[in-house]
Amino acid sequence: MLTEISFLIMGVFAVFLSLLLITRKWPVTAAMLLVVVMMLIAGMYGLLGAHFSAVAQIIVYAGAIMVVFIFVIMLLNIPAKELNYGRLTIMEIVLSVAGVVVALVLGTKVGQGHLLSSLNILSQSHARAPYYPAEMNENVKNVAALMFTDYLWAFELISFLILSSIIGAVVIAKKEKVSDVKPT
Amino acid sequence: MLSLPELGVYFSLLLFLVGLFGVMCRKGILLMMLSIEIMLNAANLAFVSASVLTNTMDGQVIMFFVMAVAACEAGVGLALVVSIYRARATVETDDLRMLRG
Repeated sequence: MLTEISFLIMGVFAVFLSLLLITRKWPVTAAMLLVVVMMLIAGMYGLLGAHFSAVAQIIVYAGAIMVVFIFVIMLLNIPAKELNYGRLTIMEIVLSVAGVVVALVLGTKVGQGHLLSSLNILSQSHARAPYYPAEMNENVKNVAALMFTDYLWAFELISFLILSSIIGAVVIAKKEKVSDVKPT
Repeated sequence: MLSLPELGVYFSLLLFLVGLFGVMCRKGILLMMLSIEIMLNAANLAFVSASVLTNTMDGQVIMFFVMAVAACEAGVGLALVVSIYRARATVETDDLRMLRG
């Protein structure tokens, strides 16, 4: 019961803080709020029993990606008069509310088990080892066993993607062309 | 009472909607990218919840891959933002009308 209550509190706080986030004027405030949201989501992963996901969320998202974001926000140093709040027309608000209603109806269908029962059939046909861990580190072991067998090629391709994105970021953000640099 | 992973699916739906709302109503590129990160997090939460619901580990492995792709996206996207700000001295999408958008 305590698990459910803390999960609910974390989820409600995450949604509330992300609503607060998208209405902030200053990008640094929004980035700090996003760090808190990611910590809360990591807590939700932990309560779900996905310990590896929780730790990866904190290290990669709240640690690495948000540091890059805050670094770039401070590097740009946008003057305050250029910042503004979000604004919506009446039509956009009406359409957004309609979209929320449609999404909630679809989500309730998922919750009632239309999609999830088919997922269950899928998982039974796969018949892997039962998920819930007896010890704490069983989760990491299961993730690694799957990641380095069935998903090995995806794992290798992801490493190439990261390498190419590093090179792309350097090339895009570079100040002058290589041919313009005078040899010293 | 819903079970824990089902609650996670609901929260991921709400978080995704908030992120989508952020992309729609903000004009600054930085806030739009932060909203995109919220949406990616919502997708990750749905993956992990489905993985717990179905007693398989695939969702958590794919969540790790999504995280790596999000890191690439943030890196390249922020490099683009820096480059655009250097060239045009603004990051408001209303003022970036080079392509007559």
